[in-house]
Amino acid sequence: MLLTLIVLLPFLGSVCAALLPANARNAESWLSGVVTVACMALVASLYPQVADGEVVRAIIPWLPQYGLTFYLRMDGYAWLFAMLVSLMGALVVLYARYYMSPEDPVPRFFSFLLAFMGAMLGIVLSGNLIQLVVFWELTSLTSFMLIAYWYHRPDARRGARMAMTVTVAGGLCLLLGALMLGEIVGSYDLDEVLAAGNGIREHPWYTPVLVLVLLGALTKSAQFPFHFWLPHAMAAPTPVSAYLHSAAMVKAGVFLLARLWPVLAGTDEWFWIVCSAGASTLLLGAFCATFQRDMKGVLAYSTISHLGLITLLLGMNTPLALVAAVFHMMNHATFKASLFMATGIVDHETGTRDLKKLCGLRYRMPVTATVAIVAASAMAGVPLLNGFLSKEMFFEESIIAGSESGLRFTLPAVATLAGVFSVAYSVRFIHQVFFGPPAEDLPRRPQEPTRGMIVPSALLVAACLLVGILPSRTVGPLLETSMRSILGPDLPAYRLAVWHGFTVPFYMSLVALTGGVALYVLLCFRKKTMVPTPLLSRLDAKRAFDVINVAIVRGAGRLARFLFSRRLQTQLLLIVLLALGVAVLPFLVTEWTRGDMPLTPPDPLFALLWIVGAACAIGAALQAKFHRLAALIMLGGAGLVTCLTFAWFSAPDLALTQIAVEVVTIVLFLLGLRWLPRRLAFDTVDRQTLRARARRTRDAIIAVTSGIGIAALSFAALTRPRQSRLAAFFFDRSVEEAGGRNVVNVILVDFRGFDTLGEITVVGIVALIVYALLRRFRPAPESIGVPRAQRDDVLQGALPERLDDPLPRGYMKIPAVLLALALPLVRVCLFCLLLPGPR
Amino acid sequence: MNTVFNYAVTFASLCFVLAMIFALIRLFRGPAAQDRVLALDTLYINGMLTLLMLGIRSTSTVFFDMALLIALFGFASSIALAKFLLRGEVIEP
Amino acid sequence: MTEIELPLWASVPATLLLIFGGLLTVIGSLGLLRLPDFYSRMHPPTMGTTLGAGCVLIASMIVSSALMHRPVVHELLITLFVVMTAPVTAMLLIRAAIHRGRLRNRK
Repeated sequence: MLLTLIVLLPFLGSVCAALLPANARNAESWLSGVVTVACMALVASLYPQVADGEVVRAIIPWLPQYGLTFYLRMDGYAWLFAMLVSLMGALVVLYARYYMSPEDPVPRFFSFLLAFMGAMLGIVLSGNLIQLVVFWELTSLTSFMLIAYWYHRPDARRGARMAMTVTVAGGLCLLLGALMLGEIVGSYDLDEVLAAGNGIREHPWYTPVLVLVLLGALTKSAQFPFHFWLPHAMAAPTPVSAYLHSAAMVKAGVFLLARLWPVLAGTDEWFWIVCSAGASTLLLGAFCATFQRDMKGVLAYSTISHLGLITLLLGMNTPLALVAAVFHMMNHATFKASLFMATGIVDHETGTRDLKKLCGLRYRMPVTATVAIVAASAMAGVPLLNGFLSKEMFFEESIIAGSESGLRFTLPAVATLAGVFSVAYSVRFIHQVFFGPPAEDLPRRPQEPTRGMIVPSALLVAACLLVGILPSRTVGPLLETSMRSILGPDLPAYRLAVWHGFTVPFYMSLVALTGGVALYVLLCFRKKTMVPTPLLSRLDAKRAFDVINVAIVRGAGRLARFLFSRRLQTQLLLIVLLALGVAVLPFLVTEWTRGDMPLTPPDPLFALLWIVGAACAIGAALQAKFHRLAALIMLGGAGLVTCLTFAWFSAPDLALTQIAVEVVTIVLFLLGLRWLPRRLAFDTVDRQTLRARARRTRDAIIAVTSGIGIAALSFAALTRPRQSRLAAFFFDRSVEEAGGRNVVNVILVDFRGFDTLGEITVVGIVALIVYALLRRFRPAPESIGVPRAQRDDVLQGALPERLDDPLPRGYMKIPAVLLALALPLVRVCLFCLLLPGPR
Repeated sequence: MNTVFNYAVTFASLCFVLAMIFALIRLFRGPAAQDRVLALDTLYINGMLTLLMLGIRSTSTVFFDMALLIALFGFASSIALAKFLLRGEVIEP
Repeated sequence: MTEIELPLWASVPATLLLIFGGLLTVIGSLGLLRLPDFYSRMHPPTMGTTLGAGCVLIASMIVSSALMHRPVVHELLITLFVVMTAPVTAMLLIRAAIHRGRLRNRK
């Protein structure tokens, strides 16, 4: 029960947040704060159960006969992540309250933030593979909405599109992989999948499953070659970057890798693929981060690099490396979120994030400077901070794994090199922003930010310090609970201590620290700290992405033009021809015979009615090309006669539906006619050429043949006695099994429910489009002219009103009053008619 | 007396359908669009009256609902068309 | 066509009303067909719409009351609605006609 509440609460909060007015910053923040803190408290309350090694489960059956249940599962690892997500959420909410300016529409922001948190908690707590993928895609969607928050900025729109394309493509691959995995194991439940590790590793499908799942995880965690979306996602507001793109969403990929580690890891393929992806990302990210000009760019590439580190650790196939990976996931979230928040503070207070312009901010913002310096030191791996601990474990694991696989010197060398660059960019970050002479020409005069903005950052930094100094008392038990839940009894012995002695990892850390500082000093000396990234700045991934997109779209367009025609008339002709062909096929074999039911005597009234209807229909067809309004009016007449026919044959529901649809069609056509230009009939030579006449004859023959064919078919069907087996089936079952007395409605709603669902979806989409076209997406008034009938208003509005004008100006009062009286009556009537339904 | 009544019902139905046919001819002929809209409106009302005749003949109450709806929707379509003729578009910003 | 049994007090007025209403409507439509000008064509259908529909609806009320043995008056709703909305349509159409006439003359 608690588990469902944990996942449900953020979504409820999101809906409530969306409904608040546009500038209720305090209300929104309080609401979001309460929701996040509540989630945190709920998660914390489950710790005693989880710490004993028990797995808390919540199962809500939905369609048990098909095996569809909503399954939530919390073990130690999930607990750790859930705590991380909700804690970060609370801190980010506090930060966002002070970061967002009063002009930003806040409901959208907080609502999507809470929805994201709910989706992330869903991923973490999900006990079913397909459910996990559903929540995975939800995080992609909410991330898209959050990155494009300032949608008037083109870089935000572009970044959001890129992020969505890459992560959703990865999600699709993940879905495929999850399906295959479920097929191998026989069930989609995580418990069973986790227990079937060996069977999966030896299955012939192992490699495809591995590749697909890795595609999903690596795209989400921005690993090489899918890393390019993360720097562009920095166009999001900084609270979003702090939450999604450092602490939560990008961790989903590595979370999944660690979750499926008992199942998929241990083979050579895993080692080579994951390690190469991780190592290349590690080096690439660290290298690029050293040359970025935007503060958030440095942090983005640094995130990529650290995720590469985690991936590399996950690829090493040893349990200790897994422990190091999970430990680094926690540490990275802490110091990176803190750094992002500090960046946001600098941006908020000075108005810029450009490292070239910023300088010497520690004089004006001492507290921020301190917080940022400590966090950056954690990022670099300075001792007594949590980054140092996980980096040490990383170095140690690289030595062990290297020696096992023949990469004896490569892996540690890679690790140390990455460490060097990591220290270099951290030092550069701090030195450029906070040290040096105070800056002159900043857009705003910097000052210390409000307490609310600095407190979350400071709390995180305090956690970094605490974990760095006393690891085994603070984070030790939590880490052990989570690792025990993944690895079970195979948990190796390790020791989280600050000082392990003068070991090789310690020397590697020392080399990294000194080397990094030396590199930075060298760059400063050569005045090369602000150059574009050497070697790599020419490879513009954004441009490559755009080129690929455009190529796909153009190719699709060419294919469509080759296979098909854009003109509606050709399309309609093809459809009718196809239908005619299909209908004619049976008659090649059998013969058309009339049934033997007797015909009722013709009713003169009905015949006259249908003279009206037929004349309207034919008239509409004849006038449709040049006199569109006339054709529309005649169509209305034909619809009316159809309605009367339904009434004649005692089908009141059909009659009601017909008349409603008829009028709605007329109104929709009128909405469209407003935008069409007038069509002028010319009896010129063009219409009378042989080709034109031949085409018209061809169309007439096809139309008349189809019409007569359908009429003949209907006649043949109607004159045969009814096969009543189907009718009896529906009649028998509609009252007992479906509970309704009106069989037709019961068929629509119950027996053929999916059909109706599809139709309702289509109607809903059309309604949304019509609403959008009417309200939001009208062409600008300058681009398309006022209708002819309104131009008079424009002319006459300039002249004074004269007494002998045939018409008074302005809106008509009498019809307005009459309608105001009549419309409520109409509404009540319609409502009464709508209610009965299937009963 | 009843046969006279039944004949009256038939006569009235015939009258309404005839009225519909006249309106139809106007619909085809009407030189301007407003003539056609007027004819359509008349068509709708006469159709409703024909339906009411059916209702009298069949003694079921459901025809009343249908007649009301035809009146309502017919009015809606006539108004939409009239507004279109008057202003050039149906729903203005 | 089912044969209905009606008491005398119901069938006589109903018959008269039905015949009257039918004739009115036909004459109205005939006027719509044959009159020369749009403005004159506006008038005849209103006869059918109001008087003709009114007569038919009263007849329908009488017949239903006689058959159900209790007063049935919900056909009044239709009459009310048609009476209220016919002027609205008429006004909008007349305005449209004047505007369009003016536009055409200007050309």
